[in-house]
Amino acid sequence: MLSSIPCEQCGAALQSRLFCFACSTLQHPPNTLGLYEALGLEESYSIDPPALESRFQQLVVELHPDFYTSADRREQHQSEISSALLNRAVETLRDPVSRANYLLPRLARGTPLDERRLPPGFLEEMFVLQESLDDLLDSGAPEAIGRTRTELQERHQTLLSDLPKHFRQAEAATEPEPLQALQTTLNAERYLRRLLERFPQS
Amino acid sequence: MAYSEKVVDHYQDPRNVGSFAKEEDGVGTGLVGAPECGDVMKLQIKVEGERIVDAKFKTFGCGSAIASSSLATEWVKGKTLDEAMEIRNTEIVEELSLPPVKIHCSVLAEDAIKAAIADYKSRAQP
Repeated sequence: MLSSIPCEQCGAALQSRLFCFACSTLQHPPNTLGLYEALGLEESYSIDPPALESRFQQLVVELHPDFYTSADRREQHQSEISSALLNRAVETLRDPVSRANYLLPRLARGTPLDERRLPPGFLEEMFVLQESLDDLLDSGAPEAIGRTRTELQERHQTLLSDLPKHFRQAEAATEPEPLQALQTTLNAERYLRRLLERFPQS
Repeated sequence: MAYSEKVVDHYQDPRNVGSFAKEEDGVGTGLVGAPECGDVMKLQIKVEGERIVDAKFKTFGCGSAIASSSLATEWVKGKTLDEAMEIRNTEIVEELSLPPVKIHCSVLAEDAIKAAIADYKSRAQP
């Protein structure tokens, strides 16, 4: 649910907590401001990428410190803080994995999760895969390397494409299991990503 | 980030890389992972009586994780199981001058030692 916080200057309902488009005034939000609030987007895993990008474009030109060089020190400082937050927000929310890693602890607030849990047998499997990659990459056999990479990429992709479904369940849930399932999935994602990083870039 | 000289030394010349057969008598295997970075570390000990006579490791991870586990194998060799249980990650941090962001690598190595000892004990007393 989007809150309707009024502009500090003109009182109009703010689209973004960083800037009022109605009267073109820099806002001074608390430094605990969340990334979704900064952009004025509803805090949900499922986002509309074009809306994210257009909101970023709208804000980036209004907040840039270059436009505040003749403003007073407080405004200069605020434009720097807000620009940094804006950049962090768009970089984090753009990427499906970093968005997930940002959102999960916020969803889980107050729910104790096992932050280290992996699917059963997963760690053993990752170790075996890492070892077999040593031999495979040494062998230099391009076909076998390509095949293995494709398999791992597909597995990683499947994990990513299941994230929206997992988040819909976790966002609607009152019990901790869907949150833990998400945490476990995101832990597994890092191991798969590390495996994929070992392949030569093509 | 710059690695300390000791980390570089262990990274370039890791001690005791390899493995023992898991089912071999006297062998204990610890397999641990760091989900925050995707590192995976296997540390194995070979025990005679109450003493660790040999150790091997294989780590897939950053330089600090490799150095921490390499150092851990050096330290456990010759120790009794009880003495090896006393090794603390903070000692590894100190020896390798690990920066705060790499402390979890030393935690991983301590966990790996404990997991290997636990595995040895569970196999020794079925």
